[in-house]
Order: sequence, then C-alpha cells, then structure tokens
Amino acid sequence: MAEEYAGPIIQMRHVDKHFGQLHVLKDINLEVAKGEVVVLIGPSGSGKSTLCRTINRLETIDSGEILFQGVKLPEEGKELAALRAEIGMVFQSFNLFAHKTILDNVTMGPVEVLHRPRKEAEAEAMELLARVGVAEQAAKVPAQLSGGQQQRVAIARSLAMHPKAMLFDEPTSALDPEMINEVLDVMVELARQGMTMVVVTHEMNFARRVANRVVFMADGQIVEQNTPDEFFDHPQSERAKDFLDSIKGH
Amino acid sequence: MSANVVSMRDALYEAPGPKTRRRVKIGTAVSIVALIALLAFVIRQFYINDQLNPRYWSFFARWTTWRFLLTGFLGTLRVAFTAGIIAMALGLLLMLGRISSVKPLSAVCHVITDLFRSLPSLLLIYFFFLVIPKYGLKMPSFWMITVPVALAASGVLAEVFRAGVNAVPKGQTEAAMSLGMTHGKIMAKIVLPQALRIVVPSLISQLVVVVKDTTVAYVVSYPDLMQNARVLISNYDALVSMYFVVALIYIAINYATNRFSIYLAHRSGTKVISRTEENPV
Repeated sequence: MAEEYAGPIIQMRHVDKHFGQLHVLKDINLEVAKGEVVVLIGPSGSGKSTLCRTINRLETIDSGEILFQGVKLPEEGKELAALRAEIGMVFQSFNLFAHKTILDNVTMGPVEVLHRPRKEAEAEAMELLARVGVAEQAAKVPAQLSGGQQQRVAIARSLAMHPKAMLFDEPTSALDPEMINEVLDVMVELARQGMTMVVVTHEMNFARRVANRVVFMADGQIVEQNTPDEFFDHPQSERAKDFLDSIKGH
Repeated sequence: MSANVVSMRDALYEAPGPKTRRRVKIGTAVSIVALIALLAFVIRQFYINDQLNPRYWSFFARWTTWRFLLTGFLGTLRVAFTAGIIAMALGLLLMLGRISSVKPLSAVCHVITDLFRSLPSLLLIYFFFLVIPKYGLKMPSFWMITVPVALAASGVLAEVFRAGVNAVPKGQTEAAMSLGMTHGKIMAKIVLPQALRIVVPSLISQLVVVVKDTTVAYVVSYPDLMQNARVLISNYDALVSMYFVVALIYIAINYATNRFSIYLAHRSGTKVISRTEENPV
C-alpha cells in the first residue's frame, strides 16, 4: 500500500483539540503532498507545535481525523507504534537517549523496532552520522556534544528508520545562534533529496529558501497559507502582517 | 562526586573573608578542645565504672569469640543480602504495577506499597513468627526474618523507583515513541536504565536500613551478628565492651555500603566528564 499510495501523505480534516478550557486547534484542515516541505509559523501559543505533534499522535485530538498515507491514525498499541516508526520526529530539546552512546542512539530504532541485525544497523548508522557530520563522535554520550551536534544526531536517528515523512518541532529554538546553521544545512539537504517535511520554526530565511508552502497559524487556526514568496511579500491577513512586522527587527 | 560536593558548598556559602576566616579558626580550635574533653570524659566514665577492666576485654583475644562473631556477621550479611535482593525485585514489580494503566492492578499495588511502607518491620516479623505458623506454614528462622524485612523495604523501594521513573525527562519517552518503540520496550530500554541510575544513592541508603532491620533477628532466634553478640554478652557478662565492638562492626558494614553507593553515583554521575578528558571534543 505504501509504495502505491499516490494521494497526500498527510491529511488533517476538521481537527479540533482542547487543553482544558483552551481551544488549541480549531477546525484544522491541512494536506501535505509527498515530497512537500511545509513550514508552520505563527506567534507562540498559536498551536503550531501541537499541530505538529498530533501528526504522529504524540498529542491526541478531540474530533476530526488525521490520515497518514490515506489511512486513519491508529489510536494505540502496536499499530500506533508501527505508524510512528514511519514518521520521523525531531524535537526542540533533541531528546537523545542520555544513557546511550551516539551510535546506540541511532541504532536503537532499527535494532529494537525494525529488528535489523546490529552489525548492519551500525554500518548504516555510521553512514548517517557521517552524512550529518558527526561520525567522529559516535562513541560519546549525548552530554558530551554541543547542541548543534546533538540535533544533527537526532536527525540521523530519525533517518535511520527510513521515514516516509519527518516532523520538526522547533528544531533550532534551543540552539546557540552559531549552531543554528549547521542544523538548518542538514535540513535543507534533506528537503533537496525529496523528504516530505513538516517544520515548525521561527527561521524565516529557512522558510523562504526551502518551503514549498508556508502555513501561518494564530490562536489555534490556520489563518492563511501560501508560497513563501507570496506569504512573506504579500501577507493577506492582518494577523500575518502584524506577526511579520513584529519579527522584522530580527 | 567530590567535585560536586565542593560546588554545592560554593553554592551555599560565599567565599570567606578575613573576619570569617578568623571565626572559622576560633570555631575549629573550640570544637577540637570540646572533642578532646568529651573523649576524656567517656574514658574516665569507663574507668570509674570499671569498664576498662581486662576481664571485659580479654576474651576478644580469643579466636573462638571472633569465630562466633564472624558466624553472626555472615548470618547478618546473608539475611541482608537476600532481603535486599527480594526487596529490590518486589519493589520494582510493585512500582511497575502502580504506574500501570490497568486501574485495578495499579490500585492493588498502591495499597500494598503503602501497607509495607507504613508497617513497622518488627510488626511484620511478629506476623511471620507468631501468626503464620499457627495456620500451618512453618518456615526456617532465616526466612522468618528475611521475608518481613524484605517486604518492609520493598514498599519504600517501590516509591524510590517511582521517583526515579518520574525523574526521567518526558522527552526521552516521546523520542522513543516517535521511533515506534512499544510501551514495554520504552520502559525496559529507555526509562528504567536511566531511572535506576538516578536513584542509586537512595537505593543504597535504603539497603543500609535493611542491614539495620536484620538486628531484630533475635526475635526469631536467627543467629545474626546481634543475636550472637547477645549470647557472648551473657557468657562473659560483658555488655558494654561487646556492644561497643558490635557497633563498630555495624558501622563498618554500613560505611562500606555507603562508600559503594558513592562509588556508584560517582561512576554514573561523572562518567561524562572523565570520558571527555580521555578524548576531548
């Protein structure tokens, strides 16, 4: 089914979610095509991170439906785990397994979830680590690496699962400024190779350079979406104009 | 660890100035004098009460005394070690049951944990010694002391483990979930290994409590260190000197346990730093 499926890889229909009184996602409708790079931007608290996390069900939804490759997300158990194995995720705080070496972090998924032989997984992990430029750190533990290095390892860890799509939840927000580009470069490269990506970020240059589409959110709603050039140069809504003005200084 | 201790002190106190340094010097001198006075007083009291009389101490020169104490010492170690292992295994199971999403299981484990945690171990020992045999279950005195001590400790250890699991950042679980790991695998491969590392110090201090709990073994007449010491006391009519020596042995056991915990914490806590020194970034 996976190879044959030609429709949008991610579909969200009338998705609603509350955190107690707070209505964090309001009637979200979004489709992401295969190979598309969608960047979610918006003021903090607009629900963009939550939206990103609903796609692999790290956040549950109250109503509506989310489909991955045309199939509704399973709600629990082995089926949900199997679906998550197909979607890579990169977190703001890296979340590398603190007690494992860099190499073990990258082989964890292939060995434990895909049941691949350790030797084979390690060989591929070394290739991936080389690709993101941290191969020489393989024997260290995460705490010994800089933030930028850790985030690149986190990307390699996701890639080791051969994901069909990748979610990036503010991947550079916890980084020192000089380390942001080394992570963005890896992401740009991924996008060039045709990876389907949903990226929550405040890096407007990255959005302009790489995104096929920019989705602007405010107060739990998708306010407008457009190509990056259109969105940044001619925002339609007042909210988007205000938001873009407010970040121009940066 | 020692580096941590220093930094903790630095965090609590600012660097001493000249006045403080003088006060520290005076304080040091006064406390040394006080300690010497106390020691002199103790020795004097021993002397006045004839406790320094060789008849209270000479039997320590005999091999049989030490052999008997050593037997007791091994008995204590056997009970403490077995009870420690059982308590850790049971504590882990109780904790896993308690954090389970199966409500009845969680509730049962919660109740058992709180029960074992709040009952005095002596009461549990009486239960196994006096109540259970009445209903036909006779066990050797070794188990009559080991099981209740283990049960009492398991309740506390379940809570120690739970604190450890809660202390593992949520992001670790989320990252594992995003890789497609199942709940059981995440527990076994990601959460528990980190949780155990976090609780090693409290784990070992709880094992010290287990060692101390074994001293109640005389209730069931199990020949542990304390019980054998009591036998020697009545043999030689040497209460103070015997308790003094036994106290030193218990201090040694628990000091060793403590050093071991510090060693473990040191190893897990500073591994990162020492490795960096080996091959700098």
